[in-house]
Amino acid sequence: MFPVFLTVLNPARGLHTEFEREAIPHSDILYNYALRMTGNADDARDLLQETFLKAFRFWDKYEKGTNVRAWLFRIMKNTYINVYRKAVKEPDTVDYNDIQNFYNVIRESSADANDLQEKLFGHLLDDDVTKALEDLPEEFRTVVILCDIEGLTYEEIAEFVECPVGTVRSRLHRGRKLLYAKLFEYAKKRGFVGKD
Amino acid sequence: MDCREFQELISEAVDKRLHTPTFRNFTAHAGVCPSCRNEFEMELLTKSVLHAKVQRQSVPNNVYKSLQSAAEKLRPSSRNWISALFGETFLNPAVALVALVLVAVGAVSLLQKNNAIPISSGKNIIAQSLNNYSAAMTGALKPTLVSHDPGDIKDYLANGTTFEVSVAALNDCDWCGGILSEIDGVRLVHVVYKIGGEGLLYVYQVDMKEALRGDKVGLPENAIASLEKTGWYFEQTPDLCNVVLWKHNNTLCAAVSKIGRDKMIALLSEKDPW
Repeated sequence: MFPVFLTVLNPARGLHTEFEREAIPHSDILYNYALRMTGNADDARDLLQETFLKAFRFWDKYEKGTNVRAWLFRIMKNTYINVYRKAVKEPDTVDYNDIQNFYNVIRESSADANDLQEKLFGHLLDDDVTKALEDLPEEFRTVVILCDIEGLTYEEIAEFVECPVGTVRSRLHRGRKLLYAKLFEYAKKRGFVGKD
Repeated sequence: MDCREFQELISEAVDKRLHTPTFRNFTAHAGVCPSCRNEFEMELLTKSVLHAKVQRQSVPNNVYKSLQSAAEKLRPSSRNWISALFGETFLNPAVALVALVLVAVGAVSLLQKNNAIPISSGKNIIAQSLNNYSAAMTGALKPTLVSHDPGDIKDYLANGTTFEVSVAALNDCDWCGGILSEIDGVRLVHVVYKIGGEGLLYVYQVDMKEALRGDKVGLPENAIASLEKTGWYFEQTPDLCNVVLWKHNNTLCAAVSKIGRDKMIALLSEKDPW
């Protein structure tokens, strides 16, 4: 009763209530994205908090009826880029041709994916997979997280990252290839596959 | 379908987005091209491993609480809606009474919160600032709200004061934090900046009129004279704490830090973009 009553009296308070109702329910997806981008719970918490602070400050700029989740996500992504990425040394640029060559070698040495799964990845630790994901270049990591972990559609991802659906498709393809290559490296290091 | 077209559709096939005719062509090509089929299976495998090994997590309770707390701090000041409350003649008196009781409860808790902040040291603003800097260094004085974005802190502080608050976007600043407090009815603002590799920079802010009146907070005469003449005042303590005073419109700011004096002045001379 009381919050509704205040909403009538004070437009600013009404905005706050509206913000809590519209934005806060998306904290789970944002937190998971933050966790995968920053790689630790403390930074994820800070990033989430900062995202909501910014979102509240600019709530009047949010266009009612549009995708609030995508809007919040873009704030988080920009905050991450502006603040957290500065502090972390960017990984070396990936040469896509190297990955393609790697694939060609794999293709020759093994043709059965089910067997591969058993051999290569079945015994990988959750942390290995998480680390491999964190090592992906940001543009690929984002779409892979949103699609394969959060289960968003291509269209929604395209809205989140503000690019065409075709770009989402191609980033996913390349991102998963890179991820596969990294998982293969981990499997090799752990002795699940031969070193040669 | 050739290999190039197949490659372009792998992601959509993995995510089950292909329509039946396209999917038929896709599987037909996979049947005759082991290399392409293998690539499809690798991507399928990668997705399934990711899905199985990376678990989604719920926002931990403490994170959720910190979010709620941050949201609470951004709520519009209670004073705004108190005045609105009295301004509405159509209000049911019973509802108004309930509101007033809640306002009173809120005011008491706010007052308690303000009193909990360890700020004293007589009326002397410089002494208070030095004490508060020490308290910030030891962790006894903790910012109520911390952010990488000075705009967040400015909004929070401006919400609880009548004078203009200065929160600058300083170079090399890792984060900044803000605290609101009151001493003998005088509103004070405290901003703490964490400067990368240099330590803390603490800035005390109060309405200039209060500082000049000298009833509840005040400045030494030489500081007032220097401020009037140059707009600045500098002092260094025996333990090499630098104190810088300046005017920001109708606000007196007192910065304290062990950052070298030149660096400190350079930082403080940066334009406040807010």
